[in-house]
Amino acid sequence: MSSAADRTFGASYLLSHARIERHPIPAYIRLVPDESLLTDEIRALVGHRTELGPATITLRLVQRATEVFYGHPGRDYAQGEEVPGYVISALDPEIDPPEMPKLLPQGILISNEWAFERYPRLGETLVVTSSLANISERFGGQFGYSLDFRTETEYRATNGDLVATSSTNMMQYDASAARSSE
Amino acid sequence: MTVDAANLHEGDELPALELTPTIAQAVRYCAINWVFPEFFFDPDFAKSVGMPGTMVPGPLKLGLIYRAIDEWLGGAGFIRQVRAAHRRPDLAKHPIVIAGRVARVYDEAGKRRADLEMAVINEDGQPSVRGFAVVEFK
Repeated sequence: MSSAADRTFGASYLLSHARIERHPIPAYIRLVPDESLLTDEIRALVGHRTELGPATITLRLVQRATEVFYGHPGRDYAQGEEVPGYVISALDPEIDPPEMPKLLPQGILISNEWAFERYPRLGETLVVTSSLANISERFGGQFGYSLDFRTETEYRATNGDLVATSSTNMMQYDASAARSSE
Repeated sequence: MTVDAANLHEGDELPALELTPTIAQAVRYCAINWVFPEFFFDPDFAKSVGMPGTMVPGPLKLGLIYRAIDEWLGGAGFIRQVRAAHRRPDLAKHPIVIAGRVARVYDEAGKRRADLEMAVINEDGQPSVRGFAVVEFK
């Protein structure tokens, strides 16, 4: 399988013209691939859901999450009492989410989000499901060509009701193509 | 202190939350996720990959925005949604301010809700994160 760098479009043509015209071809143009990196195999991953298993909300878990964001463990909660929503960031289901395919060398977090139908409750078990919601290509911008991956994680009560969703947008890019390097 | 939903108006500002995230805080964040990118806690490694110092994890900043909203709400409601769009990195041991204002107040599904525009401002006065949130009052 060829690498992303092997699939740069018309590089020799552009570079030869650059010498003739004495205008260097910017790296962010050179590194736009001839063919999309989003092959059928990669696109088939979109929408695939992976059940990561159940995770139970314990006081210890709530306190550890609170310590991260507040610098102290916070107050005690009674069984069944609603706990802060950010506790979903500390849930530890049985398996890790599948890794995203690495199509370009660097990755960076673009945005992330939590949404709640209600807050989770102490002692509650949530069933965690992860999916790759979307992959899209971006042309232009600082790196010329980049890929955006959107992953979504659902947290459902054992009766199937949606409690919370977290989503993340990651960008993969090639830092060697950055405009600032020109 | 609890926010008064009945007297909430577009343009009202949330109290600024001033914080200085630490490397220890970043390590705690890594620990609850059991994911340990070295540029979050190892200054030498961060410098070796071109960063001026260790970075504050982006998802940690989402949680800090949540905290700023939660402290403002003071139990008067709950956070239905909170989003962070990361514009530039923040470094550990450097102060940040989490600011916000009410963008819209409305009724939906029989509940009083408000949209909030949020931002994390770095010590140079630049927004490192643009945020958005929806809160629902009791």
